[in-house]
Amino acid sequence: MAHILFNSLLVILLALPAVTLLASPFKALRHLSPALLMIGLVAGAVAAARSLCHPCLIASDLSSITPLPFALALDRLSAYFLLLICVVGAPVALFSFSYVERHYTGRRRDWLWALLPLFLLSMVVVVTASTAFAFLFGWELMTLFSAGLILIDGDDSQRRQKLFTYLLMMHAGAAAVVGAFFMFAPHAAGLDFASIRVAAGLMPAGVRTAVFLLAFIGFGTKAGIVPLHVWLPKAHPIAPSPVSALMSGVMLKTAIYGFVRFGFDFLGTGPAWWGYLVLAAGALSGVLGVLYALAEHDIKRLLAYSSVENIGVIYLGLGAALVFTANHAPGWAALALMGALLHSLNHALFKSLLFLGAGALADATHTLDIEELGGLFNRMRTTGTLLLIACCSIAGLPLFNGFVGEWLTFQSFLGGATLAASAPAIVLPLMAGVLALIGGLAAACFVNLYGVAFLGRPRSVEAGDAVEVPLAMRAGMALLAAACVVIGIAPAIILRPLSAIVQDLIPGASLPEGALSIARFVPWLAAMVIAIMLGVALVRRVTRLTATWACGSPALNSRMQYTSTAFTSPIRKVFAQAYRPDRTLSVEPAEQPYFPASISYHSIRTVHFEQALYRPAVNTIVAAANRLRKLQTGNIQVYLLYMFLALVLLLLFMRLA
Amino acid sequence: MTYALDVLQLLLLLAAAPLVRGVVSCLKARLQNRHGASVWRPYSELRKLFSKEDLVPPTASPVFRLAPVVLFAATVAAAAFVPALHGSALLGATGDFILLAYLLALGRFFLILGATDGGSPFGGMGASREALVSTLAEAPLLLGLTAVAIAAHTATIAGMVRWTLAQQFFHLSAVHALAFAALALVAIAETGRVPVDNPATHLELTMIHEAMVLEYSGPSLAWIEWAGAIKLSAMMALLIALFMPWGMPVSFSVAGLVVAPVVFALKMAAVAAGLALLESGMAKLRMYLVPDFLGMACALSILAVVFTAMMR
Amino acid sequence: MGLISLAAAKTLASSAAFLFITVLLMAAAKRTATCIALFSAQCAIITAQILATAYLHHSGEGFLVAILVFAVKVVIIPYALLRVVKGLKTAGEVETSTTPVQSVYITAALIPLAFVVVRPYVRALAVDGQLLAAAVALVLSGAFLMVSRKKALMQVIGLVVLENGIFVAAITTTSGMPLVIEIGIFFDLLIGVLLMGVFVFRIRDTFDHVDVSKLRQLRG
Repeated sequence: MAHILFNSLLVILLALPAVTLLASPFKALRHLSPALLMIGLVAGAVAAARSLCHPCLIASDLSSITPLPFALALDRLSAYFLLLICVVGAPVALFSFSYVERHYTGRRRDWLWALLPLFLLSMVVVVTASTAFAFLFGWELMTLFSAGLILIDGDDSQRRQKLFTYLLMMHAGAAAVVGAFFMFAPHAAGLDFASIRVAAGLMPAGVRTAVFLLAFIGFGTKAGIVPLHVWLPKAHPIAPSPVSALMSGVMLKTAIYGFVRFGFDFLGTGPAWWGYLVLAAGALSGVLGVLYALAEHDIKRLLAYSSVENIGVIYLGLGAALVFTANHAPGWAALALMGALLHSLNHALFKSLLFLGAGALADATHTLDIEELGGLFNRMRTTGTLLLIACCSIAGLPLFNGFVGEWLTFQSFLGGATLAASAPAIVLPLMAGVLALIGGLAAACFVNLYGVAFLGRPRSVEAGDAVEVPLAMRAGMALLAAACVVIGIAPAIILRPLSAIVQDLIPGASLPEGALSIARFVPWLAAMVIAIMLGVALVRRVTRLTATWACGSPALNSRMQYTSTAFTSPIRKVFAQAYRPDRTLSVEPAEQPYFPASISYHSIRTVHFEQALYRPAVNTIVAAANRLRKLQTGNIQVYLLYMFLALVLLLLFMRLA
Repeated sequence: MTYALDVLQLLLLLAAAPLVRGVVSCLKARLQNRHGASVWRPYSELRKLFSKEDLVPPTASPVFRLAPVVLFAATVAAAAFVPALHGSALLGATGDFILLAYLLALGRFFLILGATDGGSPFGGMGASREALVSTLAEAPLLLGLTAVAIAAHTATIAGMVRWTLAQQFFHLSAVHALAFAALALVAIAETGRVPVDNPATHLELTMIHEAMVLEYSGPSLAWIEWAGAIKLSAMMALLIALFMPWGMPVSFSVAGLVVAPVVFALKMAAVAAGLALLESGMAKLRMYLVPDFLGMACALSILAVVFTAMMR
Repeated sequence: MGLISLAAAKTLASSAAFLFITVLLMAAAKRTATCIALFSAQCAIITAQILATAYLHHSGEGFLVAILVFAVKVVIIPYALLRVVKGLKTAGEVETSTTPVQSVYITAALIPLAFVVVRPYVRALAVDGQLLAAAVALVLSGAFLMVSRKKALMQVIGLVVLENGIFVAAITTTSGMPLVIEIGIFFDLLIGVLLMGVFVFRIRDTFDHVDVSKLRQLRG
């Protein structure tokens, strides 16, 4: 059954471009593509849910028609990530029903509906691949299709520069992943996952470490851990909103999937320093990501940096799990891995909701700068409520889904103190403090976003004239918000399948006692809180509308409110070491400093990784390339000399080898 | 039977919260050589507020009126985790101290939103300062509670209380001393007392909590004030339960149940006196010195966690 | 009597914790008077420690030492230092080369270092590991105070804290020092502090300040 549904998903996704092209001249068939996409994704979600209970080993095998082995399988981990893709993709498709109609026409609309299913297809192939060729095929296609979708929004020079950075870093990461797979080649019978698993157990420790490091760098580039994150705030904001939602919500999770596959499924147990490396990367990404997000007031850049932060939180969970497996505590490792995987799903849900909300805001007010917004809740009630749910979820507040994942991770850090070795017993509980700091900063960031954009008075005419978005967009967002609330109030729904998944990945794991007590406990807590809220709300009170008091200042206007920059200013001052902006101040004319005709101030806040790390690397490569250029002399005799030298060296090599 | 006692315990915390605030204000007044208001003043204030109208700015959204409701509900839910009279509370589960900290964060999140909704610069100022203080206070709070949990080999508040009760009187380990110092500093920051925030100030530029609630009036303000008082007594009761629980009955006995409220009242009075002394003796810190204060709390809590491993 | 010996044992066991707290608070202190108050609190804790040790080992000498420590270190030396502070009028604030938060974090890092350093000796000498670590931590933090504070008076305070650390180490490893050595050390310390107090006034009269970082101007 799951088999059939999954294959129908693949067929639909593959056929949709053709369907779009054929249906494009007919106005009546406008909605055929989106409808088919939604049906396919729902089928995929059902297939994934069934496979979580009964994993199916080969879902689809095209090895007979492809040059290299290409097979797809749905074991529990793949089914979980397929569920993630479909559960996020369906509401995004529903949102795009109206969003695309309102913003794209003609060829651009057709290209979007053609490339979107292919993008989803590539992600499905990545998470369900059971041979290296299938995995890498889908991996490269993900990058290409997302680049195509970004180009639909325009290709001026600034966008092309950012797109180039994106493609460059993605290919560098892909090279590392290819390298990681190929390191198995001498030891494995074939490059399908089953043989790789067997081979990994027999490889020497040095090769295993090399594989781990390559996987860490390759998947880390795709996931966006610091310092490999520079492409994220460039690429995610320039894509159309539904595509940003998919990129941030789903594409980053395929990197998590790849890393979990390598770290836990293939390589099994490793030395503890692997876990510490991942913990360090997670802590750094988490803290720096949210600090950079606090400095932004363009919604999409803020959300992009917030994705870096959440990936950091996921890596904290993964690092803890690696440390536990190295210290022979599989039960705690399972708990930490559960936290990381649950946070992946949660992040996919609330981040896509936030990006769709950004799209709704752009639709209603034509701006993405929150300092131009304000007072939108009164004009867009449904969107406001749904985004409030999203902001509460991402801040990790109880009764929403973000809290459950973080709670599981906290529990696992606490379990670190039960280990015999003193290094993890100190480091893991301290990571709980790091996670608490990240959570506090994230809450501040999103209370800022929501408060400035939706509450108070409108700061511009567009914000004052905003109208609610169409039903389809609201419905798409509502589905995601409902998922957030359901997982937050009744986490047992997702915790039971997750415990099955981690028990597959970590052999011999039985969860520590009371670890899942939250599943039984949170519904009662939610009932209590809601009961108290109802009781309080029902206390009769007379309300009167009267102007804002503000200690008696008359004629308050919207310019007197706190802006986003002002709100985050104390936090940015305290963490000033993380920012160190690149500031230029120029006064015209320069020889009359006290009577300027114009003053311009330009500040870029987040450059130091590029200056300290990337620019030197790029300069070195360019310098090396320039030196190599000397080989190209243009003289034909020199080229003949090269060929002659190569021949001589080859003969010597064969003689001496 | 236990349920009834736990519900009674929660109701006691809710009902006695304004009294605790009144006692602290009264003691502060006496220390400052004033006569001061009576200890029952907060109750009459609440009654006055409940009988008044709720004034709402016309530009405000429903979030403005939702905020006090959520704040009160979250604070009461957090208070349900605190063992005051006997070793366990109405709500308790593995890892419940994390839930307690984050329930307080939930209430604070909505209060900040409500402050921003007022549309005045003071609301924004209070909100941004509160965001700073609460962000920096999260880490020491959780690390301090983690240190105590690790020392007690358990992850529930009731378990920690039981473990401390089982230690002999006057036994003080470095972990507990450091964690107590850290949590005391964090409690001052979380409940908005001097030296972090002055709850009795009338100068807008020195306000943090008061600036957030400047636009609220009537029953909404009553819920917010009551929630603030509940937070104060819950944090005091939590510190007492974790670090000075002697006198709490371990098992049920009529004598234990009669003695427990008296002992609890005495301990709360002692902590209130200490708080009054501290508030009268220290000046409120300048805004950008509060991170130093909380940095100190963080260093103490990090040390507490490190010590749990060093003293095994 | 059982209760008193229990109290004595518990005092001994808990004094290390209090010493750590005074060390951290001294790193964060911004006024010289606060540092001096903390120093005298530290010495009070050490007095309690000596009393407890004396009671547990039934040595009469120990009580005499305790009284001496109380008189000299808790009363006389802090009083003398406070007199100097009042006289100088500009020494009220502690001027540091590191911010208070950095000082606290550095001192907090020195404490686990003390534990790590002390571990082999604890096993060899069979003494209370916490107290020995507290002693080493006092020495290290006294040295850090001397390094990071700019006023001459704070150097003196750092020196006496360092001496405190050596003293605690002596008590822990020998369970009470012989009285004669104790008296000798005390007089040394007393004279040293009084001389420093006099010198600080002389420095101030000659240079009009007591900022040691300005001594660099004396270079050739």
